Amino acid sequence: MRNAKWLLVGLILTVGGAGLAQGTVDITFWAAPNPPQEVFWKQMAEAYMAVHPGVRITVRQMPEAPTSEAGILAAIAGGVAPTASENIFIGFGGEMARAGAIVPLDTLPGWEDFVRARNMELTIQGWRFADGHYYVLPVYSNAMLFAWRIDILRELGYDRPPRTYSEVLEVGEKLKARYPKKFLWVRGELEVPTWWQRWFDFFPLYYPASGGQQLITGEVITADDRAAVEVLRFLRQMVEKKLLVTEALPYSLEEGHTIMAILGPWTFPFWAEMYPELKYGEHFVLTPPPVPDWWPADEPAKTFADAKGIVFYTQATPEQRQAMWDFIGWVYSKPENDLRWLEITTMPPARDDVAVNELFAAFFKKYPALVSYAENIPYAVPPFVHKEYVELKRVLGAEAIYPTITGELTPEAAWDTWKMLAEKIIKK
Amino acid sequence: MKLRRELGGWLLASPYLLSAAIFFLIPLVWSLSLLFFRWNLITPEREFVGLANFGEALTSPRVWNAMLVTYKFMGIIIPSVMVASIGLALIIHHIPRLKELFAVGFFLPYLASGVAIGLVIQGILSYGSPVNEFLRNVFGTSPRWLRDPFWAVLVISGMIVWKLSGYYALIFVAGLQAIPRELYEAAALDGAGAFTQFRRITLPLLYPAFYTVLVLAVGITLGIFTEPYVLTGGGPALATHTWQLEIYYQAFERFRAGYGATVALINAVVTFVTILIIRRLAESWGARRGFK
Repeated sequence: MRNAKWLLVGLILTVGGAGLAQGTVDITFWAAPNPPQEVFWKQMAEAYMAVHPGVRITVRQMPEAPTSEAGILAAIAGGVAPTASENIFIGFGGEMARAGAIVPLDTLPGWEDFVRARNMELTIQGWRFADGHYYVLPVYSNAMLFAWRIDILRELGYDRPPRTYSEVLEVGEKLKARYPKKFLWVRGELEVPTWWQRWFDFFPLYYPASGGQQLITGEVITADDRAAVEVLRFLRQMVEKKLLVTEALPYSLEEGHTIMAILGPWTFPFWAEMYPELKYGEHFVLTPPPVPDWWPADEPAKTFADAKGIVFYTQATPEQRQAMWDFIGWVYSKPENDLRWLEITTMPPARDDVAVNELFAAFFKKYPALVSYAENIPYAVPPFVHKEYVELKRVLGAEAIYPTITGELTPEAAWDTWKMLAEKIIKK
Repeated sequence: MKLRRELGGWLLASPYLLSAAIFFLIPLVWSLSLLFFRWNLITPEREFVGLANFGEALTSPRVWNAMLVTYKFMGIIIPSVMVASIGLALIIHHIPRLKELFAVGFFLPYLASGVAIGLVIQGILSYGSPVNEFLRNVFGTSPRWLRDPFWAVLVISGMIVWKLSGYYALIFVAGLQAIPRELYEAAALDGAGAFTQFRRITLPLLYPAFYTVLVLAVGITLGIFTEPYVLTGGGPALATHTWQLEIYYQAFERFRAGYGATVALINAVVTFVTILIIRRLAESWGARRGFK
């Protein structure tokens, strides 16, 4: 009898629960495999659900099996893709757009109002695909900048970092003359063929040299040959003058073994914990990348944008997509949420007004090193879009950069090799 | 009764059979179904390409290079691991006390994560490490350990030999313990020295252990992945680019599921044939010495 009573209570709760759940939309958001980003999205989801009881958002870290891209592909192939995910760079977004796996965001209701409300009309321009649609909503844009040990530069007699390649080489020679064991730059990954490492060596030099010209546009090589050859020559000259080490030397800038490094904003929370003695302006400064000698002094230098964004998957139902769109719209309708993002992740949100909006001023006052990142967002160029982006970048490292720095090929011959191979890859 | 016993057997074996079906059989059948298609895992339709994937793989310089690199690793690792593990086994065998403790100690590297070991090695061989500082102070230069094709292959081989030796030493220790002491006593009476005893008694009678280790080591070297992935990314100039790295690159970085499956199948065939040849050679060597 007692059991029957409990059975009845259970039945009532189940039926009642089902009734309650009937009007609920379940959506899933995959956050980047980076704990601060997951924290941000979980906070946003909880805040949203508190005022929107009809939506249940599950936020979880995207699987890295073995990479986050492969994890997403496996989910799509298995028919278990989330409603939306972040951490998508434009190249991979292009691949998914071609396969019809993601939704053109500008077809969602109120897209233009959304872009205007988040103040990202300029930033979004670089995210337009060849078919005229926008598939990736940029979340953050990390303009890769050069960090310089200004304390060591001052010892060498400089009060500001060098701007052109000749100036950089001159500084390097002075450094070697005074400190033979120090180097200008350590880039252990320069000789590693891993394709995405080129985002953090070749492209932050190539984009400023070319004024942001993409290597590939559509199915055509549109590279600025003069700029590319000049970048390769610059790398070779640094090796020849023994200013560049292409082996691993961890924390070389922090420890003062080198005076130059390409850094993203994610470096500074680590420094605050491990190297609190490094003060911006006193020990290090940040500048846009160095440029070839011909580059006009009054023209700002472009750089590479390590930028990623959100996509909506076509596997989700229209109802789920709409619910997710409402959620994302809610998040980005409040600039306070972009401030929260900045505070949690230290990566500048992809807005046009990050450097000038008063709302962010207090944060940047506290973290002055990050101001330069915000200021350079308009000059940061996202990577090119092509279905063979992996192979094109691998070949760039293996067949152009590696033979140049080892002296097997001249910069001109190495660049011709890349173009010849790229042509074959594109035509295949 | 017999039926019940059979059912019990199936029941006991079912966890293994189930996991083998889920994690081996289904993926195997699925990858075989990809061989004749071009597919990036996300397009709704797969493009039938016939034998094009095979044609491309068999004429790809990267695939041939991966095969040569794998055999290069095998040529260095197999003899080195044999010498190192037999040496370790002899040490463990002759330790008078706490033999088991030492055996477990030597076995530990086998359990360590390849990624963690890779990161440690990376630190030890980094430009500013004490090892390289010492070499530069004494010789005026230090090798570019992971950026020079010659050194990179040796470093990765050394890592694998270090990892495997302790495990294989345990197999050789078991082999050593199975050799009757009387044989050594009789040889000593006949005037055989320690080296002759080792060459004429120990080594030949270790044949069963030697055979097991050889087959295991060949299988391992044909599947090298973690060490070059962590340390060199397959470089410099593809000097450490193994089969598994090529499969990973094609299937999980370029998302060429069909082509990746094809390279994997060719790798499986090469592995099977290589192990078969090595087994036959080892068996004919053993047969000439009375082992069957």
